[in-house]
Amino acid sequence: MVMGISWVIIATVLAAAGGVVGVMALRSEKVGRVALVCMALSFGAQLMALGWRGELRGQCPLGDLGEICLFMAWSLTFFYLVTGTTYRVSLLGVFTAPLVFLLQVISLIPGAFEKNVVSAESIDAWREAHTSLSVLSYGALALAAVAGVMFFVLNYQLKARKFGGGLVHGMPSISRLVQAMARIAVVGWLILTAGIIAGLLMPKGNFGLHLMVATITWVLYAVLLGVYFVRGLPGRQLATGLTVLFVLSLVVFAKL
Amino acid sequence: MKLVCLGLNHETAPIEVREKFALLDGALDRETESLVSSEDVLEGVVLSTCNRTEYYAVVNGGSGVVDLENWVCERREYIGIREGFFYHYEARDAAEHLCRVASGMNSMVLGETEIFGQVKKAYKRSLEGGATKSVLNKLFQRAFGVGKKVRTHTAIQEGATSVAGASVELAEKVFGRLQGSSVMVIGAGEMSRKTARALQSRGATSVMVTNRSFDKAADLAEEIGGRAVPFSGWEEELSHLDVLIAATGAPHFVVKPQHVEAVRRKRKFRPLIMVDIAVPRDIDPEVGEIEEVYLYDIDTLQEMADGARKRREEQLRLCEEIIREEIDKASLPAVND
Repeated sequence: MVMGISWVIIATVLAAAGGVVGVMALRSEKVGRVALVCMALSFGAQLMALGWRGELRGQCPLGDLGEICLFMAWSLTFFYLVTGTTYRVSLLGVFTAPLVFLLQVISLIPGAFEKNVVSAESIDAWREAHTSLSVLSYGALALAAVAGVMFFVLNYQLKARKFGGGLVHGMPSISRLVQAMARIAVVGWLILTAGIIAGLLMPKGNFGLHLMVATITWVLYAVLLGVYFVRGLPGRQLATGLTVLFVLSLVVFAKL
Repeated sequence: MKLVCLGLNHETAPIEVREKFALLDGALDRETESLVSSEDVLEGVVLSTCNRTEYYAVVNGGSGVVDLENWVCERREYIGIREGFFYHYEARDAAEHLCRVASGMNSMVLGETEIFGQVKKAYKRSLEGGATKSVLNKLFQRAFGVGKKVRTHTAIQEGATSVAGASVELAEKVFGRLQGSSVMVIGAGEMSRKTARALQSRGATSVMVTNRSFDKAADLAEEIGGRAVPFSGWEEELSHLDVLIAATGAPHFVVKPQHVEAVRRKRKFRPLIMVDIAVPRDIDPEVGEIEEVYLYDIDTLQEMADGARKRREEQLRLCEEIIREEIDKASLPAVND
């Protein structure tokens, strides 16, 4: 238990370091790869922590609040690492790190991780696929929302003609941010689609409220992305849609 | 053996004097050849750009740089006033001056990068002509290293210092790379030409020019390799534009919100950057209220350029430190001896 929780603490400290060092780098107007390195190390520690919980449960570690938050933080970090290097938007790390940090802090709240975990005797593959894919998709959708927040910041600075400071220099372009937002959201939506299909294939009687909310979320994202790709949307509206949808679905899932 | 530098530039001499000493490509080789043919001159490099002419030489005894100045004036048949036009540097001062020049610290536009290539070219020609030996070879190699270090370790070349450059910087903030982007210039004056050129230099491929006088638009379009569009048809082109530059002499707004509103759907709400460098303004400020439009006027661009110039000036102390350190570290004959 002590060793396992240590990995969560290490991952949390690294995410905090990624955020702090990133902000400091921004202030000195030198956006480097420090945030990326911290997040990559945090990702490694998250994997170790998830391995610890998975071994205890004998199944995908999504059985309590701590595991869900940790899994989501891992998923968010994973997509950041892929996207940050693909789109060369290392600054995304500075914006992602606080959210990863927050999720991991929640998982560290006493009681978030169940102490006496009973190892699963049998595994329902569809249920496992449904839960893990759904949480994974939320990592991508969270990152799309983070990119949306970055868009708001840059858009405000460009519109208000506030060009001073490192933030505007370190930011990717408006076009790149819009592109990143849309593509990450599509990836998240596709994974969510797979998660919902897996949910529908679960043994009968398991089509619960969670799956219904996930399906509604899926429809809303489909509408937003459909409108964006077919009709077109100003970047600010896309960013608003992605941020509001993510926060809304998170709040609803938290209430369930 | 002494290292000397003789020169004149935009800060010390007026254009009428500078042009007397400017050397074209062909004359440069002959000048270097004549310089090193003198028995007192062991090595030499002659640098001539639109803003400066400089002689770097390793001399053997004599009065060095004063003799060199007399020799240069004689060759140019210059008999006018000399006082204050020429600068002289010897030994370490000459080496530090060369480093400043290569770093763009001595240029008209502080931190500009073109001078680095010009110094390299001048050195290469002298090297190939056999006019340099160990002293100048080591000195120039070191100066190139210092130039690179100054540019990478300081912000001497950061930010655009001209209105045209600021426009490009903003366009890149919105679009990232400008490769393949589509630009329209309304107005065919000097500012339009400069800004269009600046955008082209960063990769803008499709440039359209429109003007009330179509002939002027056609002339500018031909000059910059773009396409002239009749003034009556510019609105139709708006649907596939990325950047619009307005610089007409019109006393009223040329671009109005309804022009953009009409094509928003067709554009699929893609970002559009508009640069208004006209006074009175050509673009109604209300156009900037449209979500995907980023509108900037001449004051904003000027402010950006002034800010960049100020930031570059603040870097000079840091640059001087780098130069001093690098010269200290180097073992340069006739400099550190």
